[in-house]
Amino acid sequence: MSDSNHVTGTLAEDQVLNITDLSIQFGGLKAVEGLSFYVKEKEIFGLIGPNGAGKTTAFNCITQFYHPDRGEVLFRTRDNKVVNLVGRPVHSIIRLGLVRTFQNVEVIKELSLIDNVLIGAHTDFKSTIFEQALRLPRARREEREMRVKAEKALEFMGIADLKDAPAGGQPYGVLKKVEMARTLMAEPKLIILDEPAAGLNDSETADLAETIRRIRDTYNCTILLVEHDMRLVMNICDRICAISFGQFLACGTPSEIQANKQVQEAYLGEEDPE
Amino acid sequence: MSTFLQVVLRSLETGGVYALAALGIIIIFRTSNITHFAQGSMGMFNTFVVATLVTSMEMPLWLATICGICTAIVLGCLVDFVIIRRTKKVSPVAKQIITLGLIMVFVGLAPMLFGVDPLKLPRFIESGVLNIAGAHLTYNGLFNIVLGIVLMLILFYVLQKTKMGIAIRTTASNEPVARLMGVPTRNVTLFAWALAACLGCLAGVMIAPTTSVTPNVMDSVQVNALIACVLGGFQTFYGPILGAYIIAVGTNLLTLYVSSVWGGQLMYLLVLLFIVFRPQGLVGKKLIKKV
Amino acid sequence: MGKNTLNNAASASSGNSKAGILRNPYLRYIIFGVVICLLPLLAKSGIMPSSFLVNLGGVIIYSVVALGLNLLLGYSGLISLGTAGFMGMGAYISGYLTESVELPFLLALFIAIIVAAVIGILVGFVSLRVAGIYLAIATLCVSEILRKTFEELDQFTNGFSGLTASYPSFFGHTLSREATFILLTVILVLIMMLTHNLVNGQMGRALHAMRGSEVAAQAMGINLLKYRLTVFAIATAYAALGGALYMHFIKFSYPSTWIMMLSLNILAVVVIGGLRSIYGTVIGALIVFAVPDLILKRIPVIGKIDGIAYIFTGVLIILVIMFYPNGVVGIGRDIKRLFGRGKTKNEKKEGADHV
Repeated sequence: MSDSNHVTGTLAEDQVLNITDLSIQFGGLKAVEGLSFYVKEKEIFGLIGPNGAGKTTAFNCITQFYHPDRGEVLFRTRDNKVVNLVGRPVHSIIRLGLVRTFQNVEVIKELSLIDNVLIGAHTDFKSTIFEQALRLPRARREEREMRVKAEKALEFMGIADLKDAPAGGQPYGVLKKVEMARTLMAEPKLIILDEPAAGLNDSETADLAETIRRIRDTYNCTILLVEHDMRLVMNICDRICAISFGQFLACGTPSEIQANKQVQEAYLGEEDPE
Repeated sequence: MSTFLQVVLRSLETGGVYALAALGIIIIFRTSNITHFAQGSMGMFNTFVVATLVTSMEMPLWLATICGICTAIVLGCLVDFVIIRRTKKVSPVAKQIITLGLIMVFVGLAPMLFGVDPLKLPRFIESGVLNIAGAHLTYNGLFNIVLGIVLMLILFYVLQKTKMGIAIRTTASNEPVARLMGVPTRNVTLFAWALAACLGCLAGVMIAPTTSVTPNVMDSVQVNALIACVLGGFQTFYGPILGAYIIAVGTNLLTLYVSSVWGGQLMYLLVLLFIVFRPQGLVGKKLIKKV
Repeated sequence: MGKNTLNNAASASSGNSKAGILRNPYLRYIIFGVVICLLPLLAKSGIMPSSFLVNLGGVIIYSVVALGLNLLLGYSGLISLGTAGFMGMGAYISGYLTESVELPFLLALFIAIIVAAVIGILVGFVSLRVAGIYLAIATLCVSEILRKTFEELDQFTNGFSGLTASYPSFFGHTLSREATFILLTVILVLIMMLTHNLVNGQMGRALHAMRGSEVAAQAMGINLLKYRLTVFAIATAYAALGGALYMHFIKFSYPSTWIMMLSLNILAVVVIGGLRSIYGTVIGALIVFAVPDLILKRIPVIGKIDGIAYIFTGVLIILVIMFYPNGVVGIGRDIKRLFGRGKTKNEKKEGADHV
């Protein structure tokens, strides 16, 4: 069990994300209340909880889709600076090195796979609208460089041969890979995966676990997994934080969490934590 | 003081016209989720019906107005039945474009059916002027003010107390749930379109005597009614009415004291600036977007 | 434009090796322009009545304007009802600057575009922060304000009597009607290329992402307000350019030209021609602005009906939205598919998506 959850204002050397006293309520309903946890660098960290526990709300508070009523979200950016994310515009988060995927994959059907991946590099383009409209040298060079980078990301995910195919009509598994390739474009410090195992069968889930580890090792980043699927979480996470009804339950290694009485109770009748 | 009172009285009259048109827009917005840009054009079309009946068939105005309301009901139902009902899967933006297409259809139909010459429409009460503390108010003006207020009171009674009103309000707050709970949402939208068309027709008959009946007769009413909805907020039925009267008073005061030419335009600018600071309008809560 | 994206992606990555010459989108735009430039010859040789040239010049001008609106509506789902107003502004500014201040044509054109774009950004900034529908209402107000301005500021606009201008002149040399027509075509082709570049680059991807999911787009670092504003500013700039070209091709500008019905006609161009399609926009302009004048009005009985053009366009808008949301440009592809030469059902799925 962790006891350094209540450090405020600072971020320990090895931490990449530290959430303190995060709270938000919607019309009296306390969706998340006093939640605190931290994520260490190069860690695969799991945020789990039964349905309606506030996982997604917590994670929307981190990425600033919701602005929390209270609390701090300290984050170590890709330039190694510590910032508080609370109150920042949603679209500015990715530039700091925090990127996310979506539970129900969000890819653009009309665009080719590589164009979809290029969306992930959006903030890296420096050329102005005028340069793009006139295809001036800088715009052309950037487009070329980013394309090479995107091809690498697709290759890493093993779908480089499909790069010019339109995303519409591709199987679900491929689209998930496109989404992951897209996150890699942003040179992330921390990737938040929102229920990546949803809709995958056993062998695909095993494959996914492998991919997540490879991403961590190759791209040198940290991964925060918001997940319902216990198999995946117990399999790959270094540490896990369990929440229930918007409140912190326990934090620790997979085996600690499995042995935890409170966690077991929270999941009882909901789902067997295996 | 008497000029000020004069302005207020005149604003009550035009404000009533804007309010009726705005009510039509808001009822459509709440029940069908469409910003109804063709409210003015449909009103214009039915005003042409009334004016034609009065001038060509020498029908008394009240009878012609009743006939106009009947065609408005038919027209409103037709629009819902032929078009809106069949566009369930179309996005809200596309539905708005449909109402924009309707403007073109009605503006094109009017000269085809009623001729290209502007028509004259008489007032309900041709003569008689009331003197209130130095301000003048024609009997017709008084009639219009009262008519506007009475219509709105009836409408709010209908919305609050009758079965149809409750159905409308449930549909307005959540259409899919209303449908699941057995509210006949199809009839509700049909009723809403017919009602909006009636309100547009009445607004047209009230405003037309001040100018002449042309395809453009309702243009300013349409813009002011939409602006009234923006000012009052799209979330309640009474907000736009409040907005309509404020806009009428504001426009007339600006015309009188600031600029006789640019009064109306200044009012538009003020409302646009207002929504920068209060996007949800005068009456309305901030909505939390679900992610 | 979706199809072009693919071609473009292929040409950028594989160096355009196996693609034939016609696969190059820029070359296709140029060939398209050259074909249009042949029309004045037809008119000169008497094969085509020369009055058609004025109509077709109008079609070209409205195509330019509609391309801007297509970016706005097709990619951001935003409606502008101020298109005519902004066109009028471009017309009056360039007309006044060339005729009264005697500035060179190109400079006047440039100033007209910049002024319109700045006003567009202001209007957009006020309305776009609230909700999409507010842009339509705000632009409706702006077009009312502009219409009034055209009528009242008669020292600049000459009020109801209308402003006149001459054909564009370069270095003291004034173009003929045919030469102006060719100039219009050149500008249209340039605008088509510019638009092509915009929608196939970083901005185009951002707009696509916003259309797919605003939430996902924001998470990818796309600033929604910035892109909505940009697109709206581009739409107003194109409108002002179109207006200025109108001023120097038709040579008259009356306040009654720049009314909302014109804005609706241009909206119709985009909807009927095909959202997000560059060629579709031109086809749409041909249908909306040439068919009523050149064909409908020549048909006995129907042609005599007042308002037939509006009815035609209005009904067409409604029919296209209800039954053919991809617009007329999709017809060719659908016919191909009908004869079995088309693509798989994936593409059909893709096509079923609209606005």
